[in-house]
Amino acid sequence: MKQRFPTWTLGLIGIILLILIPVFYFLPRSEAKNNPAGYLPAKAVHVDHTDIINGEFTTGQEVTRACLECHEDAAAQVMATTHWTWESKEFDVPWRDEPVTIGKANQINNFCISSQGNQKRCMTCHVGYGWEEYEEYDYTVQENVDCLACHADMSAYAKGEYGEPAEGVDLLAAAQSVRAPSRDNCGTCHFDGGGGNGVKHGDLDESLYFPSESLDVHMGGKLDMLCTDCHWTENHQILGRMLTDNYTIDPQEQVSCEQCHVDQQHGDERIDIHLAAVACQTCHIPALALEDPTKTYWDWSQAGQEGREDDHFTYLKIKGEFTYDKNFAPTYLWFNGNNEYRYLLGDPVNENGVTYINKPAGSITDQNAKIFPFKLHVAKQPYDTNYNYLLAPITAGEDGYWTTFDWESGFQLAQERMGLPYSGQYGFATTYMYWPTTHMVQSADKALQCDSCHGKEGRMDWEALGYPGDPIEWGGRK
Amino acid sequence: MKRYTLLTLIGLTILALAIGIGTALAAPTPAPTTQASVLHPNFILLDANGANVLESGNTVSTMQTCGQCHDTTFIAEHAFHSDLGLNVYDANAESFNTSNGLFGEWDPITYRFLSPANDERLDLGTAEWLMLNGARVVGGGPATTSRGGEALADLPASKSNPETAILNEDGSVSTWDWEKSGTMEMNCFLCHLESPNNEARVKAIQAGEFGNANTATLLGLNVVGKNSEGWSWNADAFNELGEIKSEILRIQDPTNSNCAACHGEVHADATPLTIDACDFDYPQTATTGQVISAQRINQSGLNLAGKNDLTRPWDIHAQRQLECTDCHFAPNNPAHVLEAQESNPSHLLYDPRKLEIDEYLERPDHNFARGASAQFNVAPELKSTMRRCESCHDTNKSHAGWLPYNDRHMQVIACETCHVPQMYAPAYSTIDWTVVRIDGSARTECRGIEGSDTATDLVTGYQAVLMQRTDIVDGKTLFAPYNLITSFYWVYEDANGSQRPVRQADLEAAYLTNGKYSADVLSALDENGDGKLSEDELTLDTESKQQLIAGKLEALGLSNVRIEGQVQPYSINHNVVDSKSATRDCAACHNAESRVTAPILLASSAPAGVTPEFVSDVNVTATGSIVNEGGALYYNPVNENDKTYIFGHNRVPWIDWGGALLFVGTLMGVAGHATIRFVVARRRNRQTTATKPVYMYEAYERFWHWLQTVAIVILLTTGLIIHRPDLFGAFSFRNIVTVHNVLAALLAINALVSILWHVISGEIQQYIPHPYGFIDQMIAQAKYYIQGIFNQEPHPFHKSKQRKFNPLQMVTYIGLLGVLLPLQGLTGMMMWLVQKVPAIQDWFGGLPFLAPMHTLMAWLFASFIVAHVYLTTTGATPLEAMRGMITGWEEVEVSEHDSEVRKKEAKKESKKK
Repeated sequence: MKQRFPTWTLGLIGIILLILIPVFYFLPRSEAKNNPAGYLPAKAVHVDHTDIINGEFTTGQEVTRACLECHEDAAAQVMATTHWTWESKEFDVPWRDEPVTIGKANQINNFCISSQGNQKRCMTCHVGYGWEEYEEYDYTVQENVDCLACHADMSAYAKGEYGEPAEGVDLLAAAQSVRAPSRDNCGTCHFDGGGGNGVKHGDLDESLYFPSESLDVHMGGKLDMLCTDCHWTENHQILGRMLTDNYTIDPQEQVSCEQCHVDQQHGDERIDIHLAAVACQTCHIPALALEDPTKTYWDWSQAGQEGREDDHFTYLKIKGEFTYDKNFAPTYLWFNGNNEYRYLLGDPVNENGVTYINKPAGSITDQNAKIFPFKLHVAKQPYDTNYNYLLAPITAGEDGYWTTFDWESGFQLAQERMGLPYSGQYGFATTYMYWPTTHMVQSADKALQCDSCHGKEGRMDWEALGYPGDPIEWGGRK
Repeated sequence: MKRYTLLTLIGLTILALAIGIGTALAAPTPAPTTQASVLHPNFILLDANGANVLESGNTVSTMQTCGQCHDTTFIAEHAFHSDLGLNVYDANAESFNTSNGLFGEWDPITYRFLSPANDERLDLGTAEWLMLNGARVVGGGPATTSRGGEALADLPASKSNPETAILNEDGSVSTWDWEKSGTMEMNCFLCHLESPNNEARVKAIQAGEFGNANTATLLGLNVVGKNSEGWSWNADAFNELGEIKSEILRIQDPTNSNCAACHGEVHADATPLTIDACDFDYPQTATTGQVISAQRINQSGLNLAGKNDLTRPWDIHAQRQLECTDCHFAPNNPAHVLEAQESNPSHLLYDPRKLEIDEYLERPDHNFARGASAQFNVAPELKSTMRRCESCHDTNKSHAGWLPYNDRHMQVIACETCHVPQMYAPAYSTIDWTVVRIDGSARTECRGIEGSDTATDLVTGYQAVLMQRTDIVDGKTLFAPYNLITSFYWVYEDANGSQRPVRQADLEAAYLTNGKYSADVLSALDENGDGKLSEDELTLDTESKQQLIAGKLEALGLSNVRIEGQVQPYSINHNVVDSKSATRDCAACHNAESRVTAPILLASSAPAGVTPEFVSDVNVTATGSIVNEGGALYYNPVNENDKTYIFGHNRVPWIDWGGALLFVGTLMGVAGHATIRFVVARRRNRQTTATKPVYMYEAYERFWHWLQTVAIVILLTTGLIIHRPDLFGAFSFRNIVTVHNVLAALLAINALVSILWHVISGEIQQYIPHPYGFIDQMIAQAKYYIQGIFNQEPHPFHKSKQRKFNPLQMVTYIGLLGVLLPLQGLTGMMMWLVQKVPAIQDWFGGLPFLAPMHTLMAWLFASFIVAHVYLTTTGATPLEAMRGMITGWEEVEVSEHDSEVRKKEAKKESKKK
């Protein structure tokens, strides 16, 4: 019988193996580097809806109904998100007996203070239609979900009063333009939060529409990333929670660098030991508001001055005095991802010191905490000097403060609309609000280096952070 | 009585409790945080007479002031920064150097010569030396004390004593009044204040007001002011006890900026760093290009080539917050007690008997730990006492996983060679004092910049040259980076027969008349005839120009004038980069163009016929050669002179040419032989000889043979790539070396196992010739290859399983497997082992012998393979032998002879039985 393969082929294979195995065993291996880009979500090509959607639309609700014909669950999914409810899940907080929720729907900040009673303007950024001042909003009406806010081409769509489509919008054109959300959809509200470009966040502003690589390595880099590349979205549930609108945040619900940067080794042991105590953002976001300035101070007490000239960056009669700052170092705090405290309506004011709107949780002894960069927004905002809590004036609308320039009427209106009792005596209290910084990320060559924090010229206040002194000499936390 | 005792007891208990509670309550009082943590107390500023300056209004005396608590006499006596070579001053030195420090060591950059007593011509007197070098003199030593050890102020004034004389601009000599000028004590403030006023200090020194210099250091600090009447001490800066307030005059450890005042560019803040090219006010930077800063290079204000990509800091140690004093420490500082413990008896790991901090603060040793730079020779006994790379870094760990042959690399290469890959600031290359510019300065050349302004002209930086540095501590000689500064200057012989550099004053007299070039000089040097001398024209590049100047110098009364040149290496140890920016590419050195032998420009134009000499008596040896290329001088390192062999760079031409010739010769010989065989065979009809199949090779024999074949072929190929990486750029040098080593190990194991097999199976006999008639048989076989094979004669030797090799084969294989292969293995093994056993480097010439031998034998192997493969085609059919080696079965010719032999053997066999 003739063998299919002569026996000498066995020897040949043996020799080849005998050579290849040791060679590959001893060949220097280049460390397999995880490619972060490999973790980016795959994007499906969006179906062009131009030929799918037709008909005449006169209201937003009609458009939504059209969407729901095919995307049956879409509205229900959106309604399960805080984009719709403007309110967090329930938290047990130590200073209240009942569970509480936090959100624009029911709490205040130290910018425009409150959306309650100011629905006319504020709802421009709500993902629904027709939320008005005097009636309880019906959160169950599916057709009130505004699909276009996130899916329309923003050159064809805009929102107006009470969240309704702005006047003059061609709803058919807007509906036909729908696609996966782009930076424009998110940016319209998130870049302009607080009523203007870059007001609220130090790390989110209109410069991110067309960012350079030196502004943000992710969005401006060669990957040209979109918001949803990090804020992974499934069934309209968008990953990522805002600290200021929560008390604690489940890490599972938060965006993190580790989603893509699985291997965080820097090829430098000295740098890597920092990972235990320093967040990625701390070194890789050396400065805030790199191109467009952001508001760092807002003094409501100066509002309403007759004859003082308005200037967008320093004074507006309706809002008071401001400070804008650009390209400045963040404030550093220990941070474990949660708030230690979040001001709830009715909470007392610290008359002689600072009242925290929110205070990030963490300390040098908290092993889950890392040093993290924040934008601190300081404000002087009204409070009831008798009841000793912060007030939430109605500003928008006919009888609002922005029309009357009479604080009394603003507070009275709030008592009517929100049920926040007003004693008739008010003053202005200093409040702090901390905004975590996580965008405008810089590449390694622009990140902080040793001398940025350590040594005489360093930017860290080590004693304030709880160290006996510069840890380069005194050692890190135990 | 009882009651009294009880009462007392109760009373005591209450008291104890009260104290206890009080203490407990008092304990958690937080430490006051507002008070600045000033360790140094307030102190009285004393003048030279020991009176408070606030009362006397005099200048401050540091020796008196600091001497209140610190032993200033001890400090001044233990400070080479202060002594500057004074204690070894030797007026009768053979060379220009009358000491080993700034006071006496002649430096061609500053040029002026510190005249010893009784010289024919006074150049620098002590006072003018101090004015000229004051920016780099901390005081004390030669600034207060004469060469003979007396106080300068006590010297009798005399024009003939260089210590009390000064050369005037017009060439005349006057006496110097030390009483009037004062002398300059060691200036504690200069190094121990955060912002001493160095500018005012230097100004005072340059004005010859030496006694004012230390007080001037305090100007502008709200402590003291100066007006036409003298010093006015600011009473507000002093407390009610008459002490200066410590928050006003804050005494501190020296910072990098303090060291920078004399040494070079240190940049600590965030403003973009700017420097002037080759500015000798920053000597360390001007001579080497070293810049101490944590700033990223691309953030600096220099117009650097490729700046955008230079994101690393200027100096990694500065970035990582190290201070100069961390490595250059005071030797008796108890914080550095571990260094001092190196002299412990061997059984002691730690000796607790050390200075206490208060003892140290009273008498801190200011003879700081120093390196072994080639340019500074003061306090030679302290060379290499500092903390060095290996004092902090473990090279085995830091290079683990990527640098092959770590130990070997460490045996020959200093850390700085790879970790200071490039200098980014310009540095001097040439100082030509054979000519003078119109302002009396020398013609200079600066490397690392195309022009002169670092902000507008392109700064390219430069690559330091590698020289052989012999370590003073461990005696190891390593390649280390240096800048070379070449100087040319006129020398004359004075009346005492001493060699002296021609005085700058005499040079100016020879070149200039009334502040302009003399007409004869101009006409000789001005080549383009524009009436000016450009930097290019300012050179004595012809004999006639030199003769003209020599004549003019001789006319000034100088005899035996001639031009000399010297090359001074400047060590580069700072501006270290981390592993990511260090030289990591094997091909940087292991290539035809090697970092190790990269040349450096000495001077783009040099005086005709002058070859400068390297300074002697330093731990740097120049084993390369100085070459002249079109008027420019270069230094070419020649690593072969350093007992090193760099794979991929070094080769021995005759071995390569000889080997290649042998290989090509064999190839051509074989080709010729094959052609004749082919042609002859075509002409004649092939006679079919009867053949029979024979099981010629056991499975193991074939396995062994082919494994060896593959291994050798791969070894030859990879060896060739390692030998000539410039021809095979596509391959990773490092991977190829690994493959080569693995295959070599495989080949060696294969050979050892096969020896065992051959001995056990008795097959070894195949290789042992039977002496009887062996030579005849060899001749017969050779004749067959030369003649018989073409005539299709039968093989003179008949291959059988018992005797596979013909006599020629046998001899070849003995040579190949018995001599060549072991030798090749042995040389290869030693080359590999030299990293672990450095002694091999001393056996028969080390790598420079082993490596070329290895190459030579590789050529022999390659040639053998060609012949061997060809001769396998001389079997029954051309491919038969090869088939035999693959399958084991080979068709072998049957012949009369064959059968006879078989019969004989059969008989022998039967007889044995």
